[in-house]
Amino acid sequence: MAELQTGGGDGGNKKRAKKQSTRVDMTPLVDLAFLLLTFFVLTSTFSKPKVLRMIFPEKLDKNDPLIKQPEVKNGLTLLLTDDNRIFYYTGGLKATTVLEETNYTKNGLRKILAERNLFLINELKKLQVEQAKINEKDTAAKRKFDAKVKDAQVKSTLVLLVKHDKNATYENMIDVLDEFLITQIAKYFVVDEDLTELEKKLIQAKIKL
Amino acid sequence: MPKVKMPTSTPSLDMTPMVDLAFLLVTFFMLTSSFRAPEPIVIDPPTSTTENLIPKQVFLIMIDKDGRTFVDITNAAVKAKVLKQVLNQFKVQPLSEEDVTTFLGIGPFGLRAGEIQNFLELETGERTAYEQKGVPYDTADNKAKTSELYYWAYHTRIEAHNDFKAREEEAKLRKMDFDKTNYIQFAVKAHPEAKYQAIQDIIQVFRDAKVKEFQMITGLESE
Repeated sequence: MAELQTGGGDGGNKKRAKKQSTRVDMTPLVDLAFLLLTFFVLTSTFSKPKVLRMIFPEKLDKNDPLIKQPEVKNGLTLLLTDDNRIFYYTGGLKATTVLEETNYTKNGLRKILAERNLFLINELKKLQVEQAKINEKDTAAKRKFDAKVKDAQVKSTLVLLVKHDKNATYENMIDVLDEFLITQIAKYFVVDEDLTELEKKLIQAKIKL
Repeated sequence: MPKVKMPTSTPSLDMTPMVDLAFLLVTFFMLTSSFRAPEPIVIDPPTSTTENLIPKQVFLIMIDKDGRTFVDITNAAVKAKVLKQVLNQFKVQPLSEEDVTTFLGIGPFGLRAGEIQNFLELETGERTAYEQKGVPYDTADNKAKTSELYYWAYHTRIEAHNDFKAREEEAKLRKMDFDKTNYIQFAVKAHPEAKYQAIQDIIQVFRDAKVKEFQMITGLESE
Protein backbone atom coordinates (compact mmCIF):
# COMPACT_ATOMS: atom_id res chain seq x y z
CA MET A 1 0.00 0.00 0.00
CA ALA A 2 2.54 2.44 -1.09
CA GLU A 3 0.04 5.13 -1.48
CA LEU A 4 1.08 8.67 -2.01
CA GLN A 5 0.51 10.92 0.88
CA THR A 6 -1.42 13.71 -0.66
CA GLY A 7 -2.00 16.61 1.63
CA GLY A 8 -1.15 20.18 2.10
CA GLY A 9 -0.86 22.60 -0.69
CA ASP A 10 2.75 23.54 -1.00
CA GLY A 11 3.92 20.87 -3.38
CA GLY A 12 7.36 20.01 -4.63
CA ASN A 13 9.40 19.83 -1.45
CA LYS A 14 11.81 17.01 -0.71
CA LYS A 15 10.92 16.53 2.93
CA ARG A 16 7.52 15.12 2.04
CA ALA A 17 9.00 12.46 -0.16
CA LYS A 18 11.14 11.21 2.67
CA LYS A 19 8.14 10.81 4.92
CA GLN A 20 6.67 8.20 2.62
CA SER A 21 5.98 4.98 4.47
CA THR A 22 8.49 2.20 4.04
CA ARG A 23 5.89 -0.49 4.48
CA VAL A 24 5.71 -3.29 1.98
CA ASP A 25 2.42 -4.73 0.95
CA MET A 26 2.48 -8.19 2.44
CA THR A 27 -0.85 -9.46 1.22
CA PRO A 28 0.56 -11.57 -1.66
CA LEU A 29 3.19 -12.96 0.68
CA VAL A 30 0.53 -14.03 3.14
CA ASP A 31 -1.50 -15.53 0.31
CA LEU A 32 1.44 -17.56 -0.83
CA ALA A 33 2.36 -18.64 2.67
CA PHE A 34 -1.12 -19.88 3.39
CA LEU A 35 -1.36 -21.58 0.04
CA LEU A 36 1.80 -23.54 0.82
CA LEU A 37 0.61 -24.20 4.32
CA THR A 38 -2.66 -25.65 3.09
CA PHE A 39 -0.82 -27.78 0.56
CA PHE A 40 1.50 -29.31 3.12
CA VAL A 41 -1.22 -29.81 5.69
CA LEU A 42 -3.33 -31.70 3.20
CA THR A 43 -0.63 -33.81 1.60
CA SER A 44 1.50 -34.75 4.56
CA THR A 45 1.10 -38.04 6.35
CA PHE A 46 1.90 -37.75 9.97
CA SER A 47 1.99 -40.95 11.82
CA LYS A 48 4.26 -43.64 10.59
CA PRO A 49 2.45 -46.94 10.42
CA LYS A 50 3.03 -49.44 13.18
CA VAL A 51 3.97 -53.07 12.74
CA LEU A 52 3.36 -56.41 14.40
CA ARG A 53 6.36 -58.66 14.09
CA MET A 54 5.89 -62.28 13.08
CA ILE A 55 8.47 -64.95 12.68
CA PHE A 56 7.81 -68.20 10.89
CA PRO A 57 10.06 -71.18 11.49
CA GLU A 58 11.72 -72.92 8.64
CA LYS A 59 9.39 -75.19 6.73
CA LEU A 60 9.36 -78.77 7.87
CA ASP A 61 9.66 -81.47 5.32
CA LYS A 62 6.57 -83.58 5.91
CA ASN A 63 8.14 -86.64 4.29
CA ASP A 64 11.15 -86.65 6.58
CA PRO A 65 10.58 -89.50 9.06
CA LEU A 66 12.98 -87.97 11.57
CA ILE A 67 10.93 -84.84 12.00
CA LYS A 68 7.86 -85.24 14.10
CA GLN A 69 5.31 -82.55 14.59
CA PRO A 70 5.56 -81.58 18.24
CA GLU A 71 2.47 -82.43 20.18
CA VAL A 72 1.18 -79.68 22.38
CA LYS A 73 -0.51 -80.95 25.49
CA ASN A 74 -1.03 -77.87 27.57
CA GLY A 75 -2.26 -75.63 24.83
CA LEU A 76 -5.27 -73.54 24.15
CA THR A 77 -6.24 -73.82 20.53
CA LEU A 78 -8.18 -71.05 18.86
CA LEU A 79 -10.04 -71.83 15.67
CA LEU A 80 -10.91 -68.75 13.66
CA THR A 81 -13.73 -69.23 11.21
CA ASP A 82 -15.78 -67.08 8.89
CA ASP A 83 -18.42 -64.68 10.23
CA ASN A 84 -15.84 -63.53 12.81
CA ARG A 85 -16.45 -66.44 15.15
CA ILE A 86 -13.85 -68.01 17.41
CA PHE A 87 -14.03 -71.54 18.73
CA TYR A 88 -11.54 -72.86 21.23
CA TYR A 89 -10.57 -75.93 23.18
CA THR A 90 -7.96 -76.83 25.76
CA GLY A 91 -5.34 -79.53 25.44
CA GLY A 92 -5.12 -82.15 22.74
CA LEU A 93 -7.94 -82.80 20.32
CA LYS A 94 -10.10 -85.85 21.01
CA ALA A 95 -13.42 -86.98 19.63
CA THR A 96 -14.94 -86.06 22.97
CA THR A 97 -13.55 -82.52 22.97
CA VAL A 98 -16.21 -79.92 23.44
CA LEU A 99 -15.68 -76.65 21.65
CA GLU A 100 -16.54 -73.37 23.22
CA GLU A 101 -17.27 -70.18 21.42
CA THR A 102 -16.19 -66.62 22.02
CA ASN A 103 -15.87 -63.38 20.08
CA TYR A 104 -13.46 -60.53 19.45
CA THR A 105 -14.82 -58.15 22.07
CA LYS A 106 -13.17 -57.05 25.27
CA ASN A 107 -15.32 -59.39 27.32
CA GLY A 108 -14.83 -62.28 24.97
CA LEU A 109 -11.40 -63.40 23.92
CA ARG A 110 -9.47 -60.89 26.00
CA LYS A 111 -11.15 -62.00 29.21
CA ILE A 112 -10.42 -65.66 28.53
CA LEU A 113 -6.80 -64.97 27.67
CA ALA A 114 -6.29 -62.74 30.70
CA GLU A 115 -7.71 -65.44 32.98
CA ARG A 116 -5.52 -68.15 31.53
CA ASN A 117 -2.47 -65.97 31.55
CA LEU A 118 -2.98 -64.75 35.09
CA PHE A 119 0.32 -66.24 36.30
CA LEU A 120 2.46 -64.35 33.82
CA ILE A 121 0.48 -61.14 34.10
CA ASN A 122 0.98 -61.14 37.87
CA GLU A 123 4.68 -61.89 37.52
CA LEU A 124 5.10 -59.04 35.07
CA LYS A 125 3.17 -56.71 37.36
CA LYS A 126 5.57 -57.52 40.20
CA LEU A 127 8.48 -56.86 37.89
CA GLN A 128 7.02 -53.54 36.88
CA VAL A 129 7.31 -52.36 40.47
CA GLU A 130 10.96 -53.33 40.34
CA GLN A 131 11.48 -51.56 37.05
CA ALA A 132 10.38 -48.27 38.55
CA LYS A 133 13.28 -48.44 40.97
CA ILE A 134 15.93 -49.00 38.32
CA ASN A 135 18.19 -46.10 37.54
CA GLU A 136 17.93 -45.00 33.89
CA LYS A 137 21.68 -45.14 33.36
CA ASP A 138 22.34 -48.41 35.10
CA THR A 139 22.70 -50.71 32.10
CA ALA A 140 23.70 -53.72 34.16
CA ALA A 141 20.53 -53.49 36.23
CA LYS A 142 18.52 -53.03 33.07
CA ARG A 143 19.98 -56.14 31.53
CA LYS A 144 19.28 -58.06 34.69
CA PHE A 145 15.71 -56.85 34.59
CA ASP A 146 15.28 -57.89 30.94
CA ALA A 147 16.60 -61.33 31.85
CA LYS A 148 14.01 -61.56 34.61
CA VAL A 149 11.20 -60.71 32.22
CA LYS A 150 12.47 -63.31 29.80
CA ASP A 151 12.66 -65.83 32.60
CA ALA A 152 9.07 -65.19 33.63
CA GLN A 153 7.98 -65.61 30.03
CA VAL A 154 9.81 -68.89 29.69
CA LYS A 155 8.28 -70.19 32.92
CA SER A 156 4.78 -69.44 31.72
CA THR A 157 3.14 -72.70 30.70
CA LEU A 158 0.35 -71.30 28.59
CA VAL A 159 0.76 -72.04 24.90
CA LEU A 160 -1.62 -70.59 22.35
CA LEU A 161 -2.23 -72.16 18.97
CA VAL A 162 -4.12 -70.28 16.31
CA LYS A 163 -5.68 -72.06 13.39
CA HIS A 164 -7.51 -70.30 10.62
CA ASP A 165 -10.36 -71.51 8.55
CA LYS A 166 -9.95 -70.72 4.85
CA ASN A 167 -12.62 -68.06 5.09
CA ALA A 168 -11.26 -66.25 8.12
CA THR A 169 -10.06 -62.76 7.27
CA TYR A 170 -6.75 -61.03 7.72
CA GLU A 171 -8.40 -58.76 10.25
CA ASN A 172 -9.27 -61.78 12.40
CA MET A 173 -5.64 -62.83 12.40
CA ILE A 174 -4.38 -59.37 13.37
CA ASP A 175 -7.08 -58.98 16.02
CA VAL A 176 -6.07 -62.21 17.70
CA LEU A 177 -2.37 -61.34 17.59
CA ASP A 178 -3.23 -57.97 19.07
CA GLU A 179 -5.16 -59.62 21.91
CA PHE A 180 -2.06 -61.73 22.61
CA LEU A 181 -0.05 -58.56 22.79
CA ILE A 182 -2.51 -56.92 25.16
CA THR A 183 -2.75 -59.92 27.47
CA GLN A 184 1.04 -60.40 27.34
CA ILE A 185 0.92 -63.95 26.07
CA ALA A 186 4.50 -65.15 25.75
CA LYS A 187 4.11 -68.30 23.69
CA TYR A 188 1.90 -68.52 20.68
CA PHE A 189 1.98 -70.14 17.28
CA VAL A 190 0.09 -69.47 14.13
CA VAL A 191 -0.45 -72.90 12.66
CA ASP A 192 -0.11 -72.92 8.90
CA GLU A 193 -2.20 -76.01 8.36
CA ASP A 194 -5.85 -76.31 7.57
CA LEU A 195 -8.29 -77.34 10.25
CA THR A 196 -8.42 -81.09 10.70
CA GLU A 197 -11.53 -83.02 9.72
CA LEU A 198 -12.37 -83.57 13.36
CA GLU A 199 -12.12 -79.88 14.11
CA LYS A 200 -14.36 -79.08 11.18
CA LYS A 201 -16.88 -81.63 12.37
CA LEU A 202 -16.86 -80.26 15.90
CA ILE A 203 -17.39 -76.75 14.61
CA GLN A 204 -20.31 -77.90 12.50
CA ALA A 205 -21.82 -79.61 15.53
CA LYS A 206 -21.31 -76.49 17.63
CA ILE A 207 -22.91 -74.21 15.05
CA LYS A 208 -25.97 -76.41 14.81
CA LEU A 209 -26.58 -76.24 18.55
CA MET B 1 -10.15 27.12 13.66
CA PRO B 2 -9.01 23.54 14.05
CA LYS B 3 -9.81 21.37 11.11
CA VAL B 4 -11.17 17.84 11.51
CA LYS B 5 -8.36 15.62 10.30
CA MET B 6 -9.48 13.16 7.73
CA PRO B 7 -7.56 9.87 7.44
CA THR B 8 -5.39 10.27 4.42
CA SER B 9 -4.42 6.67 3.85
CA THR B 10 -6.42 3.51 3.57
CA PRO B 11 -6.50 1.56 6.81
CA SER B 12 -3.75 -1.01 6.85
CA LEU B 13 -2.99 -3.91 9.15
CA ASP B 14 0.42 -5.01 10.24
CA MET B 15 0.65 -8.46 8.78
CA THR B 16 4.20 -9.26 9.82
CA PRO B 17 3.31 -11.60 12.72
CA MET B 18 0.81 -13.42 10.56
CA VAL B 19 3.40 -13.98 7.86
CA ASP B 20 5.87 -15.11 10.48
CA LEU B 21 3.44 -17.63 11.80
CA ALA B 22 2.38 -18.84 8.39
CA PHE B 23 5.96 -19.43 7.30
CA LEU B 24 6.80 -21.09 10.56
CA LEU B 25 3.99 -23.55 9.96
CA VAL B 26 4.97 -24.01 6.32
CA THR B 27 8.52 -24.81 7.37
CA PHE B 28 7.27 -27.24 10.00
CA PHE B 29 5.06 -29.13 7.60
CA MET B 30 7.70 -29.14 4.89
CA LEU B 31 10.26 -30.65 7.20
CA THR B 32 8.06 -33.17 8.95
CA SER B 33 5.99 -34.41 6.06
CA SER B 34 6.85 -37.44 4.08
CA PHE B 35 4.93 -37.84 0.92
CA ARG B 36 2.70 -40.73 0.34
CA ALA B 37 4.06 -42.76 -2.53
CA PRO B 38 1.53 -43.14 -5.33
CA GLU B 39 -0.19 -46.44 -4.84
CA PRO B 40 -2.17 -48.40 -7.39
CA ILE B 41 -4.45 -49.66 -4.64
CA VAL B 42 -5.42 -48.05 -1.39
CA ILE B 43 -5.32 -50.36 1.58
CA ASP B 44 -6.44 -49.38 5.01
CA PRO B 45 -4.88 -52.06 7.20
CA PRO B 46 -6.54 -53.41 10.36
CA THR B 47 -5.65 -51.73 13.62
CA SER B 48 -3.65 -52.94 16.60
CA THR B 49 -2.13 -51.57 19.78
CA THR B 50 1.47 -52.34 18.89
CA GLU B 51 4.04 -49.59 19.25
CA ASN B 52 6.75 -50.90 16.96
CA LEU B 53 7.48 -48.53 14.13
CA ILE B 54 7.79 -49.64 10.55
CA PRO B 55 11.43 -50.33 9.55
CA LYS B 56 13.22 -47.70 7.49
CA GLN B 57 13.62 -49.93 4.48
CA VAL B 58 11.04 -52.48 3.48
CA PHE B 59 10.03 -54.89 0.82
CA LEU B 60 6.36 -54.01 0.87
CA ILE B 61 3.84 -56.73 0.11
CA MET B 62 0.38 -55.31 -0.43
CA ILE B 63 -2.52 -57.72 -0.57
CA ASP B 64 -5.93 -56.48 -1.60
CA LYS B 65 -9.37 -57.86 -0.88
CA ASP B 66 -9.25 -60.30 -3.78
CA GLY B 67 -5.77 -61.59 -2.99
CA ARG B 68 -3.96 -59.58 -5.66
CA THR B 69 -0.37 -58.85 -4.67
CA PHE B 70 1.48 -55.62 -5.21
CA VAL B 71 5.10 -55.26 -4.21
CA ASP B 72 7.56 -52.44 -3.76
CA ILE B 73 11.11 -52.09 -2.52
CA THR B 74 11.83 -48.80 -0.80
CA ASN B 75 15.55 -48.95 -1.55
CA ALA B 76 15.90 -47.76 -5.16
CA ALA B 77 19.33 -49.29 -5.77
CA VAL B 78 18.17 -52.69 -4.59
CA LYS B 79 14.92 -52.39 -6.52
CA ALA B 80 16.85 -51.76 -9.74
CA LYS B 81 19.10 -54.76 -9.16
CA VAL B 82 16.23 -57.08 -8.31
CA LEU B 83 14.31 -55.91 -11.37
CA LYS B 84 17.25 -56.80 -13.57
CA GLN B 85 17.54 -60.25 -12.00
CA VAL B 86 13.84 -61.02 -12.33
CA LEU B 87 13.68 -59.90 -15.95
CA ASN B 88 16.69 -62.02 -16.67
CA GLN B 89 15.10 -65.00 -14.92
CA PHE B 90 12.02 -64.82 -17.13
CA LYS B 91 13.98 -64.11 -20.28
CA VAL B 92 12.48 -60.66 -20.74
CA GLN B 93 14.45 -57.97 -22.57
CA PRO B 94 16.16 -55.71 -20.03
CA LEU B 95 14.68 -52.23 -19.72
CA SER B 96 16.42 -49.11 -20.97
CA GLU B 97 18.05 -46.91 -18.35
CA GLU B 98 15.28 -44.37 -18.73
CA ASP B 99 12.57 -46.98 -18.19
CA VAL B 100 14.33 -48.29 -15.10
CA THR B 101 14.27 -44.78 -13.63
CA THR B 102 10.56 -44.52 -14.37
CA PHE B 103 9.98 -47.93 -12.87
CA LEU B 104 11.72 -46.93 -9.65
CA GLY B 105 9.34 -44.01 -9.37
CA ILE B 106 6.03 -45.80 -9.79
CA GLY B 107 5.87 -47.25 -6.29
CA PRO B 108 4.07 -50.53 -5.68
CA PHE B 109 3.29 -52.56 -8.78
CA GLY B 110 1.35 -55.71 -9.52
CA LEU B 111 2.70 -56.60 -12.94
CA ARG B 112 4.03 -59.66 -14.67
CA ALA B 113 7.66 -59.40 -15.75
CA GLY B 114 6.59 -59.38 -19.39
CA GLU B 115 4.11 -56.59 -18.81
CA ILE B 116 6.47 -54.05 -17.28
CA GLN B 117 7.86 -52.66 -20.54
CA ASN B 118 4.39 -52.03 -21.96
CA PHE B 119 3.21 -50.50 -18.72
CA LEU B 120 6.09 -48.03 -18.64
CA GLU B 121 5.35 -46.90 -22.18
CA LEU B 122 1.92 -45.68 -21.13
CA GLU B 123 1.25 -42.06 -20.24
CA THR B 124 0.97 -41.29 -16.53
CA GLY B 125 -2.80 -40.98 -16.77
CA GLU B 126 -3.17 -44.24 -18.64
CA ARG B 127 -1.10 -46.03 -16.02
CA THR B 128 -3.63 -45.30 -13.31
CA ALA B 129 -6.38 -46.69 -15.50
CA TYR B 130 -4.37 -49.80 -16.37
CA GLU B 131 -5.67 -52.78 -14.47
CA GLN B 132 -2.80 -54.44 -12.67
CA LYS B 133 -3.56 -58.06 -11.96
CA GLY B 134 -0.99 -58.53 -9.23
CA VAL B 135 2.36 -60.27 -9.23
CA PRO B 136 1.58 -63.91 -10.02
CA TYR B 137 2.28 -66.62 -7.50
CA ASP B 138 1.56 -70.28 -7.27
CA THR B 139 1.65 -72.55 -4.27
CA ALA B 140 1.39 -75.93 -5.93
CA ASP B 141 4.33 -77.99 -4.71
CA ASN B 142 6.04 -78.39 -8.05
CA LYS B 143 5.45 -74.82 -9.14
CA ALA B 144 6.10 -72.99 -5.89
CA LYS B 145 9.64 -72.11 -6.80
CA THR B 146 9.02 -70.88 -10.30
CA SER B 147 6.45 -68.17 -9.70
CA GLU B 148 7.33 -64.53 -10.25
CA LEU B 149 6.57 -63.52 -6.69
CA TYR B 150 9.01 -66.14 -5.49
CA TYR B 151 11.81 -64.63 -7.56
CA TRP B 152 11.03 -61.10 -6.43
CA ALA B 153 11.28 -62.33 -2.85
CA TYR B 154 14.34 -64.48 -3.45
CA HIS B 155 16.41 -61.86 -5.25
CA THR B 156 15.38 -59.18 -2.80
CA ARG B 157 16.56 -61.29 0.10
CA ILE B 158 19.94 -61.75 -1.54
CA GLU B 159 20.35 -58.18 -2.76
CA ALA B 160 19.23 -56.84 0.62
CA HIS B 161 21.91 -58.93 2.25
CA ASN B 162 24.56 -57.68 -0.20
CA ASP B 163 23.44 -54.11 0.31
CA PHE B 164 23.68 -54.52 4.07
CA LYS B 165 27.19 -56.00 3.84
CA ALA B 166 28.35 -53.26 1.48
CA ARG B 167 27.14 -50.54 3.78
CA GLU B 168 28.70 -52.24 6.76
CA GLU B 169 32.06 -52.44 4.96
CA GLU B 170 31.88 -48.81 4.00
CA ALA B 171 31.06 -47.75 7.52
CA LYS B 172 34.01 -49.76 8.77
CA LEU B 173 36.36 -48.15 6.26
CA ARG B 174 35.25 -44.69 7.15
CA LYS B 175 35.12 -45.57 10.85
CA MET B 176 31.54 -44.40 11.05
CA ASP B 177 28.72 -45.72 13.18
CA PHE B 178 26.67 -48.36 11.49
CA ASP B 179 22.99 -48.88 12.15
CA LYS B 180 22.56 -52.63 12.28
CA THR B 181 18.79 -52.41 12.38
CA ASN B 182 18.65 -50.64 9.06
CA TYR B 183 18.18 -53.40 6.54
CA ILE B 184 15.40 -54.29 4.17
CA GLN B 185 12.67 -56.12 6.02
CA PHE B 186 9.56 -57.73 4.65
CA ALA B 187 6.39 -55.88 5.50
CA VAL B 188 2.87 -57.08 4.79
CA LYS B 189 0.07 -54.60 4.29
CA ALA B 190 -3.17 -56.41 3.68
CA HIS B 191 -6.81 -55.45 3.39
CA PRO B 192 -8.73 -56.37 6.57
CA GLU B 193 -11.19 -58.41 4.54
CA ALA B 194 -8.55 -60.30 2.60
CA LYS B 195 -9.07 -64.02 3.05
CA TYR B 196 -6.65 -65.71 5.38
CA GLN B 197 -6.07 -68.31 2.69
CA ALA B 198 -4.53 -65.70 0.39
CA ILE B 199 -2.32 -64.34 3.17
CA GLN B 200 -1.13 -67.81 4.03
CA ASP B 201 -0.41 -68.68 0.40
CA ILE B 202 1.63 -65.54 -0.11
CA ILE B 203 3.53 -66.01 3.11
CA GLN B 204 4.27 -69.57 1.98
CA VAL B 205 5.86 -68.21 -1.19
CA PHE B 206 8.13 -66.02 0.90
CA ARG B 207 8.96 -68.84 3.26
CA ASP B 208 9.96 -70.87 0.23
CA ALA B 209 12.34 -68.04 -0.58
CA LYS B 210 13.73 -68.42 2.96
CA VAL B 211 12.19 -65.26 4.30
CA LYS B 212 11.18 -65.90 7.89
CA GLU B 213 10.42 -62.59 9.45
CA PHE B 214 7.46 -60.44 8.55
CA GLN B 215 6.25 -57.09 9.78
CA MET B 216 2.51 -56.88 9.63
CA ILE B 217 1.58 -53.25 9.06
CA THR B 218 -1.34 -52.09 11.14
CA GLY B 219 -3.10 -48.83 11.75
CA LEU B 220 -3.33 -47.25 15.15
CA GLU B 221 -6.08 -48.55 17.39
CA SER B 222 -8.32 -45.84 18.67
CA GLU B 223 -9.48 -47.28 21.91
